[in-house]
Amino acid sequence: MSIKRGVSLYSYQQTQFFKQMNWKDMIREVHDNLKTDGIEIIDEAIIKNYPFPSEQFIFDWNNEMARYNMKATTMDIYLDVHQFRDHIMTHREAAERLKNDIKLAAKLGFKNVRPLCLVPIDVIEMALETAEKYDIRIGKEIHAPLPIKKGTKVQPTKGMAAALDFRMADQIIELANRTGSKHLGLVPDFGIFQHSPSKIAIDYAKRQAKNPEVIDFILENRKSYDLDEMSDVLDKKYAHHGIDLSTIERMSLHESSAKPEDIIDIIPYIVSIHGKFYNMTEIEGKPDCYEDAAIDYETPIKYLKEHGFNGYINSEYEGQRDQQDRGVEFLPDEREQVRRHHEMLSRLIGE
Amino acid sequence: MFDNYLVRKDSLENVYKDGKAVGFKFGVRIADYRGCFLSLHNGYYVECDGVEYPKEVQKFEINGNEPRDFEEIKKCVWEHWDYDDEGYVYIQKEGGLAPGEHVIKLQQSILAQYGYMPWDEEWLKNPPTPGKGAGSGKTANICSFNLELQEGGK
Repeated sequence: MSIKRGVSLYSYQQTQFFKQMNWKDMIREVHDNLKTDGIEIIDEAIIKNYPFPSEQFIFDWNNEMARYNMKATTMDIYLDVHQFRDHIMTHREAAERLKNDIKLAAKLGFKNVRPLCLVPIDVIEMALETAEKYDIRIGKEIHAPLPIKKGTKVQPTKGMAAALDFRMADQIIELANRTGSKHLGLVPDFGIFQHSPSKIAIDYAKRQAKNPEVIDFILENRKSYDLDEMSDVLDKKYAHHGIDLSTIERMSLHESSAKPEDIIDIIPYIVSIHGKFYNMTEIEGKPDCYEDAAIDYETPIKYLKEHGFNGYINSEYEGQRDQQDRGVEFLPDEREQVRRHHEMLSRLIGE
Repeated sequence: MFDNYLVRKDSLENVYKDGKAVGFKFGVRIADYRGCFLSLHNGYYVECDGVEYPKEVQKFEINGNEPRDFEEIKKCVWEHWDYDDEGYVYIQKEGGLAPGEHVIKLQQSILAQYGYMPWDEEWLKNPPTPGKGAGSGKTANICSFNLELQEGGK
């Protein structure tokens, strides 16, 4: 058995936005043109009347998946702690939300749910019994800027990186070992192997910046400063530059947040993988062969193959959002981008 | 994301009550790749032809209900704004807008996030003012739209 290919329907968010494809069209695209069967969804993008869909929607979903013999792999779920507005959701309430999402995933035939990396570990533990009962694996996402293993990595004090716990993967493994549960694991996102800013993200940042020179400065000096220092240097050098912290974070990227070899030890815990990408371009001198120049796919897939991973890598195209600030002629073709991604996956997997 | 497409270009209309223009409205989509619990919707930064219209004069129409102000929206803790659906922003403005082209500047504020964040207590007590970037989700810029006032709404 080898690594399997799938698609998160997240990849077609723009096509869905413009009502050029609905979820049924997306399933057909994966079946007919990508010749594969793995389907992942964002609950709040696909499920009509989430979190209480009708019996008709649930039947329609299962029927369509059965029609094409597709596999519902992972349902991506969220944690909006401000939902009630009169208080911050408690951890016990968050666990109730998670349990409901697990039940919903089971009704829709999914094997796994993906809670986000910021979901506290005790919330996961409180929902574990429900996961066992409904035979759903909880796969917590390892998303950039998280590493797989913390090692000696120093955590920044600003931006998203500050709110995350760099020992997240260890916490999940510790909980899985302590409880002996087979229903707990990890969903690594290939964004953790992104080593440089994508060209489309750079172009977007420059179009939005009052002074595009600031973006060039970050790119040229990204190896000289850590995130905290960069922010301070910019404030001193370019007063009122107006570049927000997440853009600084994205443009400063100069090494992947995880080491590819670290994936070997977590293979038994991998529930499925997010095949994050931004821009598939043709490899020079190799017609019809594609790559994402900002993300290392080759090395991690080599390790996954060598160590017997046989789960799904689901495409997660995210480059569209950096190309929606201009006319329709500049919008990317999501279907083509995902088709290119699957050319690459098939080639690297060795189908 | 969807910077250029958050407001539907042919959706700007005056709103009438008893035959008199009392404001204007336009169609919007969610500035994210997923829908949200409606209670999280915290209003808009809206500027029309250089004049700012704060949250207090805004209403939001979604899910086939009458337009609701953001104090009411806050209470809709189990109602969902689905990703596929367009809503309407209503702005109270006596006399409405004059015929012709108008420049709308907009930033949506939705208190959606990926878990617990350091500012949670602050947002509970003092929700961010739309337009300052906080709660602007996946579209951090104030986006600008040139819209032609359409006939209708009477």
